[in-house]
Amino acid sequence: MATAAPRRRRSLAAALRRYGWSYLFVLPTFSLFVVFTLLPVVQGLVLSLQNARVTGGEFIGLANFETLAADPVFVQALGNTILYATVVVAAQITLALIVASLIQPLGTRAHVFYRALFYLPLVNSAILVAMVWRWIFNANPFGLANTALGVIGLGPFLWIGSSDQALIAVILSAVLTIPGGGVVLYSAAMGSLPRELYEAADLDGASWFSKWRHITVPLLRPTTLYLLVIYTILAFQLFERVYIMTNGGGPNNATITIVQLIYSTAFQFGRYGLASAMAVVLFVMALGVALVQFRSLRSDVEY
Amino acid sequence: MGRDVLINRRRFLQSMAAVGVVVACGPTATASPSPSVSASGSPAPKAVSIEWWRRNYAQGTQSAETITSDAAVKAYKDRASNVTIAIQGGPFGAETDQKFDIAILQAHNGPDVFHTTGGDVLKYAAAGQLSQPTLTDAERTDFNPSALKATTYKGTVVAYPLWIVPWFEYINLDLFKEAGVTPPTGGNWTYEEFLAAAKKLTFKRADGKQIYGFAHANDEFAFMLIDGGRPYDSTIKTWTFNSADAVSGLEKWVSLAQQKVMPPDFLTLNPNDSQARFLAGDVAILQRPSAMINILNADAKWKFGTNWDIANFPKAKGDQTAWGGVGFIAVREQSDADKKAAAHAFAKYLTGPDIGPDLKKQTPPVEYWLAPAGRKSAAGIYGDYHPAKAKVATMGAFTYVLPNVSTWSEIDQKYLRPARDAALEGKKTPKQALDEVAPQAQKLLDEANK
Repeated sequence: MATAAPRRRRSLAAALRRYGWSYLFVLPTFSLFVVFTLLPVVQGLVLSLQNARVTGGEFIGLANFETLAADPVFVQALGNTILYATVVVAAQITLALIVASLIQPLGTRAHVFYRALFYLPLVNSAILVAMVWRWIFNANPFGLANTALGVIGLGPFLWIGSSDQALIAVILSAVLTIPGGGVVLYSAAMGSLPRELYEAADLDGASWFSKWRHITVPLLRPTTLYLLVIYTILAFQLFERVYIMTNGGGPNNATITIVQLIYSTAFQFGRYGLASAMAVVLFVMALGVALVQFRSLRSDVEY
Repeated sequence: MGRDVLINRRRFLQSMAAVGVVVACGPTATASPSPSVSASGSPAPKAVSIEWWRRNYAQGTQSAETITSDAAVKAYKDRASNVTIAIQGGPFGAETDQKFDIAILQAHNGPDVFHTTGGDVLKYAAAGQLSQPTLTDAERTDFNPSALKATTYKGTVVAYPLWIVPWFEYINLDLFKEAGVTPPTGGNWTYEEFLAAAKKLTFKRADGKQIYGFAHANDEFAFMLIDGGRPYDSTIKTWTFNSADAVSGLEKWVSLAQQKVMPPDFLTLNPNDSQARFLAGDVAILQRPSAMINILNADAKWKFGTNWDIANFPKAKGDQTAWGGVGFIAVREQSDADKKAAAHAFAKYLTGPDIGPDLKKQTPPVEYWLAPAGRKSAAGIYGDYHPAKAKVATMGAFTYVLPNVSTWSEIDQKYLRPARDAALEGKKTPKQALDEVAPQAQKLLDEANK
């Protein structure tokens, strides 16, 4: 027992001698990670406990978090963010799965074509896309949504001009955009599913839907988990769409989100401590949701 | 002979040491400047370089801020040839504001003289970063009192008022004619006359095109002032924008929404959108600041007095009111006395009566400034350029300039605008909406007064 520690030290030293050089390869990336990600996160945590302004700040404990809990605008931003994330993530994953499933049976050329087709819009500037959606959901009759609905005798609706409909318009703008990244990932994952399971199902006379429901969807759980985590984090970070479509928070703060509020609190109101506290809340939310998703969707199946 | 002129190493070092002692004991260049003597025998002014930070300045571009700033520096060079001025810019917006904050508040460095607005003046003053102007009594009475008040921090004027930017009504005379509405005589109308005109001016043409009587951008609260309501009391310590006068002003505004004389998306119309609607002939009356005069002038289809004019805010229970913003030229506190003195002299020039005529003399003449001056002696030049501007130049007398409160943008954006929206959408009564936000606004006002 007394010799265990020196033996561990010796083996560690031996491992360092043998593999230490390999850490050099990791060093550049790790350094960038530390400087541009880890340190800002730590600094954000520190700032969240201060009444920091541009001139500096003092330690105030959890006072910023108490302020947030009592601030109706933050509570509204929190609610809007959660609602947006819930609806949009569910819709985008479903949509990506359906579209990937529809193009899966097609030939290789068609496959490549559709993957590219759905992925290409992602290279567009998010600002430009948001400006297009702003025009689509314009309250005036010449907005595209109102023009289209007018053909079937509906509307015109106020959309982004109304506090009741503005968040719906923002959510619709996200839901109606086919998530190209999800389609590509699902499509790639589907291509690597074991064929013998489908052959066995065919022998059993399973329908297309049964095979999709009982083989495809369960085997795609690792991809679904990945998309769920990524899309949730992206949805929590909603900013430019709201900023462009509704001039920030929209009528009566109807579309205000946490990141929008962080931006205005830090850069317009100069309250860096309070803004950092909001960022910490957002971080905890994203971490919590990711942990829950990992636990509930963890799959032991490897293929 | 040769021995006499030779300097050995020891003597050389001795002489260098002597020079060193003299230099060390002598006056330093920065601590007490000693003017050099010119060929004529009179002391030549010492050369000084200062930095002027100006929002929306971008060297080589044709923005109004760039053209007028370059022209101002050129004109000042003729008056003070020893002063070299470098201009730094940055687009309007939060990023440039932050650049100013970091330089002035954190680094205690950056501009020697700068253009600033709103609550920033008080923020910098509170941090002890502004060098106070020394104004004579004559200068004090020359400045617009509300502009001077807006730049007063704890009883002291901390910057030079530059200009007042009034908001008023632009009217499309063609649409007035089409709807059979007589434009307000002399630009004056009561709220009732304004509402009646806006209703008549809201109509659909035979081709289906909808015209709206009135529009404004989503950054306004002017109607809350017309019955005499004001955001704060005279001491700027108590929030009063839920007073009976403010509530009745908001009720008048709500009435416009209820009568549907504004475009349905009026709550999300940003300033550019609202101007575009007027320029497209979709809106008959538009509430915007004086800068839009230049936009209309630049468009050949708009002829002042023929198809557009300006009018005052509608008058209600309160006195004739306009509302506006105010711009300042501030000098940063610093230890370099020469730079500070040069910065003050330049700031006085920028806000004084000489710059306008100086710029007018340039080839081509440069219009100075972009908004009516903050002092009487400099007011004329703005009005000289355009008959619309001549009308606007008279508005300073009744323009309400929001007193500077460092937390105003937070009060406005986070609480006041949503409350206003809720009332305009009919979700809350004006009184309910304004009463609800009063505690938060008061809290932020208290914080600003600490």
